[in-house]
Amino acid sequence: QNLKCVTHNLHKMICNWDVSSRRRHGQTDFCYTTNDLSPPVCFKTKEKRVEIPVPESSSVVTITTNSISGTPFATKEFEIHKQDVLFIPVTPRILSLTPDFSTSTLNLKWSDNGSAFPYGLDAFWQIQVLRKETMEKVAEVTYHSKLTHEDIILSWNWTSDLPLECMSHYVKIRCYVNVTQFVGLKDWSDWSPVEVIPGKDTDPSGSGVFPLDTVVAVGSDVTFCCVHEEGQNITNMTYGSKPYPMIQLSSRSNAIRVLNANASDASGTNVVCRYNSGMLEGTVLFVGYAPDIPQNLSCETPNFRIIKCTWKPGRHSGLYGKRKTKYSLFERTSGKNVSCEVHEMNREHVCGFPVIPDQKTYDFILGVSNPIGQTESSLLVDITQRVHPKTPEKLTVSGNNSTSVHLRWFINGSFAEIRLLCQIEISSGHSEQKLHNVSMPGGKLSAYTAQLNALHPYTKYQFRVRCSAADHFWRWSDWSRIEEYTTSEA
Amino acid sequence: MAGADSPSAALQRRDLCARGIRLAGKMRADVINLLDTYAERQGLDASANVAAVEGLPLAAVEGWDEQTGTQRLLENLAAYRAFRALLAQMLEEHREQLGEADAALGRALAAVLLQVSAFTYHLEELLRLESCGAPSEEEQEEEDGLPPQPHGLFEQKLRGLGVLRELAQWALRSGRDLRQLAKPSPGTGSAPSPAESP
Repeated sequence: QNLKCVTHNLHKMICNWDVSSRRRHGQTDFCYTTNDLSPPVCFKTKEKRVEIPVPESSSVVTITTNSISGTPFATKEFEIHKQDVLFIPVTPRILSLTPDFSTSTLNLKWSDNGSAFPYGLDAFWQIQVLRKETMEKVAEVTYHSKLTHEDIILSWNWTSDLPLECMSHYVKIRCYVNVTQFVGLKDWSDWSPVEVIPGKDTDPSGSGVFPLDTVVAVGSDVTFCCVHEEGQNITNMTYGSKPYPMIQLSSRSNAIRVLNANASDASGTNVVCRYNSGMLEGTVLFVGYAPDIPQNLSCETPNFRIIKCTWKPGRHSGLYGKRKTKYSLFERTSGKNVSCEVHEMNREHVCGFPVIPDQKTYDFILGVSNPIGQTESSLLVDITQRVHPKTPEKLTVSGNNSTSVHLRWFINGSFAEIRLLCQIEISSGHSEQKLHNVSMPGGKLSAYTAQLNALHPYTKYQFRVRCSAADHFWRWSDWSRIEEYTTSEA
Repeated sequence: MAGADSPSAALQRRDLCARGIRLAGKMRADVINLLDTYAERQGLDASANVAAVEGLPLAAVEGWDEQTGTQRLLENLAAYRAFRALLAQMLEEHREQLGEADAALGRALAAVLLQVSAFTYHLEELLRLESCGAPSEEEQEEEDGLPPQPHGLFEQKLRGLGVLRELAQWALRSGRDLRQLAKPSPGTGSAPSPAESP
């Protein structure tokens, strides 16, 4: 009686039945037909369970129960229609359950056993997360995937609202495959065996406050737990200097929940668990901001050897040391990446990027990240149009005659690719300040000269010079030091 | 203490001791100031209970009265070498955790480390005077090994508090040890009993 057939892979099915008679019985003769044309297939079995092919439409099954001595005493014939067969996928196999304690995240990996099914079927995976020895369900999700007739490893992440160390977490999974072309009944697979991530409260010597030294955004809600050794009692738990009401998680684990956390000091906010013995255990929470998008990103070259990029960082993240906001300059054309050494206390940030031979245009991405978030800013720039020379040096003045002088100066850098425009400021005691512009081909680490005429004889002059790019003006250099010179008598 | 001193050696020892006592006094004052700043900047209660810190030399000692001058110096030297390593680690941790955020605390830590190094050198000088010489640094490092890494940042903060507290006690004890040492040999004299020592 009650012949039931279940298939796990749409090809073979496992049929089992009951025997109503109480008499002791021996082997069973089992015959089944695969289709109307071919003769039945028969074999003997001691079990009340056989595995036979799934019929194309229906199959006639004859079960003859024999006595101990082998004489048949009961025969029953069944017709199994394909739609009576129940399809239950094989129980999924969890490959790994990996905790990331720093982010309180569980990562589950399992095989989808897709090779057992035709391509393109929809598969649904129900995943449950449970806590404590009492297996309280804390999360249940249904995850969808497409089977590809290959065994694919699927992965799923779950972030706990409290640190994984606080108590044990268990995960189990089952699946449902929507075999559209299968006319029989379909149901969920069995649940997989549970995988466990033990809490510290199950480790005899486990103790401490968790999460350990983590970073969160301002406004976050954070749960901390204090796991203590057997026999220890907690007096209180404080966040900063404020005690919080404790929630008992297990016999060795108490928690507090901090809502809407404020920005912490540079050294972080201490979360302290005080024991009756007076001893303390604790952790530190760093509460800050994700980085702002850098503003006013600007890049220029002082010497065609280095490109200097500057930007305004925006609101300070409130994170310091190894948690501080980090910057890197990536140049798309060359694929070159430079990490920037930025002093977090400075208002304006600077980063140097080496000029690449024969490359004028630079496609910069300024990457910004800290433990809370990341962002970027980009800039496309032709550096020949962003020349900001260094201050002219070693300005010297020599006289040709009583009304003209010869100026000579030096600029550190190689400007062979551009023309330079230099401006000479001429001052003397009794005449108005004059500016004299002169342009010349740029040189490589070279000196530059200019001739000034129509000066007054026997007159004391002050000269200084500054330079910029001639064709695409960007910025003047700073003025050189002033050089004094008195023209000779007429 | 070593055999009877020549007058110049005794004079030199007394001078070194006197300078050492001043160094210890200054160091103690600076450490106490640093303790308050450290506790406040690390969000700690200055009176917080700190578990035993592995590798931390304890100033309290039994039989303080009966110690010879060389024993005093050797114990002091071992302690301040240990403090030098512990403070260097604290400074490294400060840079790693805070970067430029709390430069003042960093400078104060570095200043105390400098004083501890100077005092260590001073003790080595005194031991050279005792003509028994200071044990090599390597021997001690092998014995003590590197200061252990704390489990988390809060433990690191507490450990720092413990180090500074014990250093303040040691500075007090060193002053007393050097006063004992400064007395003309044989070392008699009514030095304060260990009970008064830290």
